[in-house]
This record gives sequence, C-alpha cells and structure tokens, in this order.
Amino acid sequence: MSSLEVLAGAASDKSRAPGSAGMRLVCGGASFSYEEARAPIPALCDVTFELRPGGSLALMGASGSGKSTLLQVIRGLDAPESGAVLLDGAGPADVGYADLQREVGLVFQAPELQLFASTARDDVAFGPRRLGWPEAQVTSVVDAALDVVGLPSARFAERHPYALSGGEQRRLALAGVLAMRPRLLLLDEPFVSLDPGTRRQLVGILERLKAAGVTLLLATHDVDLAWALCDELLVLGEGRVVVAGPWDFSTAGGHLLAANRLREPFLVELWRRLGRDPQRAPRSAAEAAEALS
Amino acid sequence: MKATIAQYYAGDSLLHRRDPRAKFVAVSGLAVALFVRDSFAGLAVYAAAATLAYALSGVPLVWFWRAFRPLLWLVALTFFAQAVFAPGEPFFSFGFVHLSWRGLELAAFLSLRLVVLVLVGSVLTLTTPSIALTDGLAWLGRPLRRLRVPTDELALMVTIALRFIPTLLVELDTIMRAQRARGADFRRGGLRERTRSLVPVLVPLFVLSFRRADELALAMEARCYRPGAVRTRLHPLRARWSDAVLLVATAAVIAAGLLV
Repeated sequence: MSSLEVLAGAASDKSRAPGSAGMRLVCGGASFSYEEARAPIPALCDVTFELRPGGSLALMGASGSGKSTLLQVIRGLDAPESGAVLLDGAGPADVGYADLQREVGLVFQAPELQLFASTARDDVAFGPRRLGWPEAQVTSVVDAALDVVGLPSARFAERHPYALSGGEQRRLALAGVLAMRPRLLLLDEPFVSLDPGTRRQLVGILERLKAAGVTLLLATHDVDLAWALCDELLVLGEGRVVVAGPWDFSTAGGHLLAANRLREPFLVELWRRLGRDPQRAPRSAAEAAEALS
Repeated sequence: MKATIAQYYAGDSLLHRRDPRAKFVAVSGLAVALFVRDSFAGLAVYAAAATLAYALSGVPLVWFWRAFRPLLWLVALTFFAQAVFAPGEPFFSFGFVHLSWRGLELAAFLSLRLVVLVLVGSVLTLTTPSIALTDGLAWLGRPLRRLRVPTDELALMVTIALRFIPTLLVELDTIMRAQRARGADFRRGGLRERTRSLVPVLVPLFVLSFRRADELALAMEARCYRPGAVRTRLHPLRARWSDAVLLVATAAVIAAGLLV
C-alpha cells in the first residue's frame, strides 16, 4: 500500500468505500464577526457556496477579505453567528458532527505556530494520538504522512522541528494534518515564502491528494497555482461572496477579478493573446506545450 | 473575548491629557496608601477615588473587566487563603478548614484591596500610551543615573514588554487554535491534565518570542539605536498646572483615606 493510500484511507478503512475519500462541504449563509472593544468587526456576511466531494476550490480575495476566518469557521474553531457549515450534509445539531469536524484538516498559515514537539515524529503523531488511535496505526500514518510530504522518516523523524528549514517546517505542519487522514483539507496560504523548488513539491503533493479524492479548499493569493490546482473559484470581498463557481474569464469575470485585486492566470492571458478561447486555457506548462505542438 | 492587560485605550479625556509623570506618581502614591491603610473606611475612600478616575477616563467599563478577568483567580486565591488560614475564633471547622468571622473579614478586605489596585493601575495604562509612560518613567528615574542605573534602557524594556503583550496574546490564540484543529482540548481533564496540555502551547510561544527579540534588536540597531547614547525626545514632556492639580487632588485623597 502506498503512503498516500494509507492516508487517503481508501483501502484500510472499511467504513469508507474506495473513491469516496472526499467530503462534501456546504456553507449556507455563514456570518461571523470579531468581537472588538468598541464595536464588533464583521468578517463574514452570508457566505454561501458548495464544494462537491473530491472537488477543489481556490479561495481568493484581497488581504482582510475573510479567507482565514472562513477556513476557521469551516473547521469549527469559530462558530458562525448565523447560517451553518454542513459536512457531508450533516449540520452542527446532527449526531456525529464533531467526528466529521475531526475529518476536516486545517493547515495554518504560519507553520512555526503549529510545531511544538521535540521531534518531527512526535509532532506529526500529536493529532492521531488525540484521536485515540492504536500506537501501531499511529506509527504507520506518521511514516506515511512524512513520506508523502517528502520528509522520509528515516532521515527526518527524529529531527527537532525548529531545526528544519522554513519549507521543511511547512511540509511538516502539512504532515501533522495529513496524518489525521482528513477528507477535506483546508490550506491557508500554503505557498507563502517558499522557494520555487519547495513550492513545486507542495503542488505535487496537493495534486496527488486531489487525485486520491481528498476535497481541497485552498486560500491563496497566487492565481497561477490556484488555476493549476483548483477546478472552481470562490472570491471574497469584505467578507461577502463576490464570485462562486467555475472560473469565468469573460469580460465581466475579468472585471470582477480586477476589482478584487486579482488577475487572470498567466496561461489564461497567454491563451487570450494567442487568440484562443481563454476558458479552455491549459492548467500547466506541460498541457500548454502539448496544445501548442 | 480578548484580555486587555496593560493596553491603551485611545481617547481625549481629562486623564488622557495629563502628564504621564503626574499620573505615574499619583497612581504609585495611591497604591502605596492602599497597602498602608488597613481599614474598610480608608479602602472605601480609595475605591471611590479610583472609580471616579475611571469614570473620568471615559473608557468603557468592559475594558476594566477584560483587564481584571485574568486576575480573578488571584483574587479568588487570596480570598480563599485568608478565609481559611487567618487566625480567629472559628464558627465552622472541617478538616484543615477553619472559618472565622475575622478570617472572612480579612479575606474580603484583601480581595477588595486587590480589585482597587487593579482599577487604579488600569486607569494609568488605559489612559497613557506606552511611549509616554516610558518617557515619564525615564524622567522619574533620572536621579538613579548618578548611581549608574541605566534608566533609559530600563524604561525602554518596560515599553517593549508592554507593547508585546497584545501581540503575544494574539499568537497564543493562534497556537491554541492550531492545536485545537489537531484535536487538543484545553478544557478537558483535571488540573494536571490541563497544565500538561499547556506545555505544547508554551514551547512555540517562547521560541517565537526569542526569535522576535532577536529580530527586534537587529531592527533597532539598523535604525541606529545605541544603548547608553543620550537621546532627545520628539515630544518633550511638559507639565502643566492641571497636572499639579491632579497631584494635589491625589494627595488630598490619600490623606483623607489615611485619616478616616
């Protein structure tokens, strides 16, 4: 069994049918505001969207538009003031909702805030142990998670998390979340301050998880990576949904992107300049090369 | 809800406009008087004065509550220790617990004293920006320079410490969230379990603080900060008549509290 199979749980978990690893997410009219001394600051207003199992959604918008807040609300770290987050159709009042919440993995923006154990192995094992899994299973998922993120346990398991480089720390933080075998993976700006090599590695990891059926929700400012990885787009502006659904590169769609401090992905712009249909632009350089040759 | 220990509340009240040195002297005087005076009558005078000062500051009451909430356990502990261990004729005994009216009175007095002390201190920090507070402290510490006490550096250390309290609280919140997202539960279990669950929270917090301290030191040096150098102020402190009025009024309150 490959490391990814161990994590996706397609084969090892009898309760999950193969190919149904991903979770369905429905956000229905979620609102949230931060309590501040003088007046509450609204962060999310009536946010509604849907993400199918195994789907991938890029969450974009200017800084302060509510992306991180939305991820925290979906993970259940903040409760929405109104509206609800449905996981696989279940709401907060349903039995088993807490268990479903545990299957939502959230990788925070700053990896150094998430690492605390004295070895990489213990850090990755933190979540699985909290879930009460038997130690043999913990060991296998920890090894698999470290392997998937490119930090093989033979070399990295006994290293101190703070002795790793920034990129390695980020991947270790991802491993800590993957070890809990999430069916919905939320990533908050995972590509920030990564060198191009590490970034490419991370894209590879996310592509493999996506192929394994894990549902992905990726908050990022990087339109090119969002286009490469995500089938759909959700743009927030001041806490409200501005765009939700498939990528739209019509004139109106382009204006919406620009109005929210975004731009078209490079390959889409290239396709437009070549006089081709931007809606059918390739997702990667390889696809572009194939289409052009 | 966020804690607001040592936070500044921007405003333009009568107290906001006072010289930080006058406020610091007034608050220190009141704090000393609070500890010297040991009667309920005296305490009542100081409590009334502190409440009036808070009202004059124009800061919403909820800010005091936020500053006070983290200290609630300290007040509770003081009350418990005094109520249980203070000498006196017990009217109720169970094991090592002996409750006496004298003990309860003492417990109530000491707890109230702590509350008034926090209120007095809050008025100072809520109405004085940390830079003004440092300038004031440095000025008041000048005589110590003759004894080679680095007063400017000490004042700067205090400012930096105050400045980073809110930042650390935000980081603490993020760290706890990151761990809750991985299954940590800080509200479950007994005292021992809860204390143990705090260790993984403190590790990243300390690591980050040391790293931040390093970066801050470099950033300060890069902007030409030199320890021991004579520094001038962009806004030199200027005492006004109203500051003298504040000091006289405080002296009157202290005297009234000592005499009643």
